[in-house]
Amino acid sequence: MKKPIYLNNCLTSKPAPEVIEAMLPYWQEKFYFPENFMSQGTQIESDIEKYKQVVADSINAKPDEIHFTTGGTSANNLAIKGYLMANSHKGNHIICSRVDYPDLLTNAAFFEKSGFEVTYLDADEEGFIDLKQLQQAIKPETIMFMTTWANHTTGTLQPIEQISKILQKADHKIAFHVDAGQAYGKVPINVEEMKIDLLSVSAHKIHGPVGIGAMYVRQGIKLAPTKHGINRIDEYETGGINIGLIAGFAKAVELNFSNFNENNAKLRQLSDYLLKKIEATIPYTLLNGPRGDKRAPHNVNISFRYIEGEAIMMMLDAAGIIVATGSACFSKGLSPNYILMAIGRNHEESHGSMKFTLSRYNTKEEIDYTVEKLAEIVSELRKRSPLYKEEK
Amino acid sequence: MKYSQKVLDHFMHPHNIGKLELPDAKATEGSPACGDQVSMYLKVNEDSKVIEDIKFQSYGCASNIATASIITDMAKGKTLDEAKKLTWKQAADELDGLPPAKMHCSVLAVDTLRKAIKDYEIKHNLASEDEFKKTTIVEELKHIIYPKVGEDIVSLKMVKYVGFENGVATVDIEIPKFDQYRQNVADEIREHLEKYDAIKKVEINM
Repeated sequence: MKKPIYLNNCLTSKPAPEVIEAMLPYWQEKFYFPENFMSQGTQIESDIEKYKQVVADSINAKPDEIHFTTGGTSANNLAIKGYLMANSHKGNHIICSRVDYPDLLTNAAFFEKSGFEVTYLDADEEGFIDLKQLQQAIKPETIMFMTTWANHTTGTLQPIEQISKILQKADHKIAFHVDAGQAYGKVPINVEEMKIDLLSVSAHKIHGPVGIGAMYVRQGIKLAPTKHGINRIDEYETGGINIGLIAGFAKAVELNFSNFNENNAKLRQLSDYLLKKIEATIPYTLLNGPRGDKRAPHNVNISFRYIEGEAIMMMLDAAGIIVATGSACFSKGLSPNYILMAIGRNHEESHGSMKFTLSRYNTKEEIDYTVEKLAEIVSELRKRSPLYKEEK
Repeated sequence: MKYSQKVLDHFMHPHNIGKLELPDAKATEGSPACGDQVSMYLKVNEDSKVIEDIKFQSYGCASNIATASIITDMAKGKTLDEAKKLTWKQAADELDGLPPAKMHCSVLAVDTLRKAIKDYEIKHNLASEDEFKKTTIVEELKHIIYPKVGEDIVSLKMVKYVGFENGVATVDIEIPKFDQYRQNVADEIREHLEKYDAIKKVEINM
């Protein structure tokens, strides 16, 4: 078995070899920028159109509605800042939730300081946002609702269609922005049917390169420019965009969507296998987030009681297994994971939480090895823990 | 940010791990809510006052386990008076350094050792419980590390005022509004002060 075993795919994922191959020509013989009438420039222009079509098809959008950005965070910033700046005359109230991705929450906090009112919806213990609260929060000044489709911590899939129906029922336009960073490539996305207005995706979560993403902007939705400059490739992401990365992104999309149902069924099977095996082998665990198909197919987040996550992570690392933890000891601000706290977990449960996010490159053999090592590590750390013996 | 090889060695293979049956003294510091807790158990020679055996248990991260491992190594074979003088800086140095954000682990390990020694002294009438005073609060604040630089908040002059009246401890702290450790420092102050029976309420002004 090749080491390391990589189970932190929600942070970033290994670029597919086909992706690397697709990118190289643009850094060698095809280094040109798109330009009118000239042979090389028009060739690049038509390449980009082709790649746009690939991304558009993956979410049932039109190519003109796709804008390449320098990543998912850029796309989220463009969507939120661009929409709010262009539409502030219509109202100054936005709605999101306490369990959103930091891109959304930091933008919300920024606009709150700039005179907007923000309603932060609560989430239940599985991480689903409170739809009743959403209905009640809507008022004439509400101009935007934003949400994180697949939660980056618990894998919770928000009910996008139900949310969309609620927004449609309002008697004025409320823009619907979806951060699909973790959902893209894992669950079917149809922006047309789901009536999504703005949606952000990132290439490196689906075995594409880091540094490129896309923003879907529904035709007719007005955005203010947030990055002024020359329109080389995109009117919003002005200046140069690395065209090799666009090609790699499109290749990653092709690979991901060519066997979409089969790939994701396999991924879910492997995650379920991991979860069941942990639960069968290791006592005193707690699943964070929902079970079954209400959960992103690549995510298993589980708390191990009486022990701390950074220690588990370091020991797994020594065994050649890469995972993530919600422990305060590992976080930048030394605080427990805010998503887990928002869904009602206590400090200890958050400290002992481990996140395993799988990809199509993981194998059953790797999962078996991971659980075997994990069981040894948990048992060793519990032996060292004063909490374990006290409560036993 | 990286752990030294010595931290990793002590974390993977800690010395003195476990519990002593019938210890002469014991202590527990920290809490699960703050992410780390250490318990220590001492066996002390009644005549020479030498720590003959010492064990610890830890609920905590790699540096928590490593610092408890090294401090128990350092204390073993020393008299209580010698062991009392061990500092968290010595423990951190002995581990070839700790990242600033992890210095509080070293403080916790040393505090647990000192508390266990105090437990022995009280049991053997060598010392009495400290009387609670306003200066106790200041002494306690010296045990709170500002994770950005790895020094305590008193030495760093972040503590601007300490008050104690009618069971209410007031602490004024200077810390930037957008500091990523703001919440952590507040939580630490609460945890350190709320363990005193004399303190009914902790008020922190930032």
